[in-house]
Amino acid sequence: MGYYEEQKSQVIVCVNKEVLHIQDLAIGYHSRRLAQEAKKYGKKFRGKVVAEKLFLGLAEGELVCLLGPNGSGKSTLMRTIAGVQKPIGGHVTLDGKRLEKLSTKEVARLLSIVLTDRVMTGNLSVYALVALGRYPYTGWMGTLSTDDEAVVKKAIETTGIRKFAHRHIGDLSDGERQKVMIARALAQDTPVVLLDEPTAHLDLPNRIEIVRLLKQLAREQKKSIVMSTHELDLALQAADRIWLMSPVKESDSRAGVEMISGMPEELILDGRLEKAFKRNGFEFDRTSGSFRIHHHYRGCIGLVGEGMLAYWTKRALERIGYRVVIDGSSPFRIEVSDDSGTRCWRYYNGKNSKPVELRDIGDVIDVIKESKAGEAVI
Amino acid sequence: MVSQAGGQTGTDHPWPLLSPKSSLIVLLFAVAVFFFLLDLVLGSVKIPFGSVIGIVSGRGCDNEAWEKIVTYIRIPKALTAVIAGAALSVSGLQMQTLFRNPLAGPSVLGISAGASLGVAMIMLASGAAANSFAIRQLGLGGSWLIVVASTLGAAFVLLIVLGIAIRIKDNIVLLIVGIMVGNITISIISIWQYFSEPEQIQDYLIWTFGSLGGVLGSQLYVLATVVAIGLLISFAASKSLNVMLLGENYARSLGMSTLYIRITVIAATSLLAGSVTGFCGPIGFIGIAVPHLTRSMLNTSDHRFLMPSSCLVGAILMLGCDIIAQMPGSQTTLPINAVTALIGSPVVIWVIMKNRNLKSSFA
Repeated sequence: MGYYEEQKSQVIVCVNKEVLHIQDLAIGYHSRRLAQEAKKYGKKFRGKVVAEKLFLGLAEGELVCLLGPNGSGKSTLMRTIAGVQKPIGGHVTLDGKRLEKLSTKEVARLLSIVLTDRVMTGNLSVYALVALGRYPYTGWMGTLSTDDEAVVKKAIETTGIRKFAHRHIGDLSDGERQKVMIARALAQDTPVVLLDEPTAHLDLPNRIEIVRLLKQLAREQKKSIVMSTHELDLALQAADRIWLMSPVKESDSRAGVEMISGMPEELILDGRLEKAFKRNGFEFDRTSGSFRIHHHYRGCIGLVGEGMLAYWTKRALERIGYRVVIDGSSPFRIEVSDDSGTRCWRYYNGKNSKPVELRDIGDVIDVIKESKAGEAVI
Repeated sequence: MVSQAGGQTGTDHPWPLLSPKSSLIVLLFAVAVFFFLLDLVLGSVKIPFGSVIGIVSGRGCDNEAWEKIVTYIRIPKALTAVIAGAALSVSGLQMQTLFRNPLAGPSVLGISAGASLGVAMIMLASGAAANSFAIRQLGLGGSWLIVVASTLGAAFVLLIVLGIAIRIKDNIVLLIVGIMVGNITISIISIWQYFSEPEQIQDYLIWTFGSLGGVLGSQLYVLATVVAIGLLISFAASKSLNVMLLGENYARSLGMSTLYIRITVIAATSLLAGSVTGFCGPIGFIGIAVPHLTRSMLNTSDHRFLMPSSCLVGAILMLGCDIIAQMPGSQTTLPINAVTALIGSPVVIWVIMKNRNLKSSFA
């Protein structure tokens, strides 16, 4: 699995320079107590392994979304890549250099992070906070040179926070604060940026804006970005590549977490995403790229038609619990048509019955609910 | 919210300044100088302002008694106030940042208690011959002994608190642990007192009231030297302390060694709070309050400006408290430790209520 992935990603990586490379990495926690216990029984204990056999690559200008349920090891992987936590096995290579051979100062010039930690700099202006990102480059008193100031100003303008650069971080909204922390990471001027759930606690417009900003940074400034997130739909739309950490049964893999990586569309089309979610009891719909909420259908109905109208009719039918098949010969079916703005739904209730013509989707749903169409057929 | 991304170049949003207005720092310095002179003028004996200026500037004065009072009592006392105020403020500032806690300060986290333990060991354990005045009369050697004992005591407690800090990430838990360690230290001292001679206990009790007047001659040089070293270490840590405002994880990701900053702050705080406590007794309130006052006044969290400003504000407050403690015109003096808390606490409550930015500083 790992090697297969590796070879595949190599093909893509050749286009752009690879800035982060993960080779046979095992992540987890070192435990002195468990190690001593294992020693008693004469065994060698490496640590509590969260995930292993990770082979991943991150190319220049690539936005990667790291997905996975709570407790699957997303944060552990992030911390290991950032060099905060030691790997149990394998290597992380940053800009062609082994992570463990780099000093913290050197890592700080190659990799910056945005965490979920709240910062307590209430009396620090946004500008001063972003300027703290220059720490690895300034002298002992931390005085900014004109070059440093230019980098800070550019980071502030790119993230669109100039209009509150003078304000204090404590007075900002969650979305604004997240942008400030991204600006701080930009001021650190590193090729790789890691973000731990940057869209958590944000409303939809802010979430979209943050993802849009990250995409823009990947495209325009050639940043390599890894963000962990729970938003599957946003990840599928925005990510150049998905890293999905999916828990598996203990027998399949010792670590209990499998890493699936690839282009989002590739993962959907070859069914790997669906399979990974199915294992954890989620129905992932390949056609729409979203989860099905209903497990039990009340019936089956055919749908004829195309375009937006058919799509949303299908969504409405699925919402009230119908399995929708694209089938013109089904006795229970709806034919949708849209003749230059005049929308029309023809509803066939059973064989040989005359269709009911409806003009409003609300009526369609009411009529179908009323007639309990096709409930025997599933 | 509409995205402003992509290089908005509005001239209506000028870039903010990184440094607070320098006029504010100049003003603080002027106030400090004024309070210093005021502290020299006011006291039990009325000495006219002009004569004091004359004595300070070296021109001398007709009244020999006045000259002696100013040169040998009031100037050392005022200098001690300046040194103690600056030292305690800066140590409190560092600890509030390191522990990310607005209540941190030398007296709360047991550092003063540790220093007291050190002093108690010297005063109570070394037998009848070693009352505090005997030690002070030993001159340089004796004053070093007290400083070393109180600094070691302070460092000892701070090391325990920090050792726990490495294991516990929760600030509230850490604060409680610090207070408890302080309590243990104080209870050890009281057990010690229980088994000591009344004269020794009296000396120790007088020491705990705090006094700025006991630091004379060579002792002042000792105190000034130790505090100067502590301040230098603290000032050099300003850049790292700024990064600590982002939290330990961010600090580490910026290439900062958290172990380095912990050791630096332990060393500096032990030197600053330990030596001042050794010479002047455990002076409360200044260490917690002055950083808050300074942050409110300067409206910044940047340690490069907070450090020198805290020194000035601490000196001003300490001089102010000393002036009040003298009860000008009367023959009595109040213990300085009582005055700092009595006068200072309401001031701090007022400033914090007025500005309401304490919470955002530590949110």
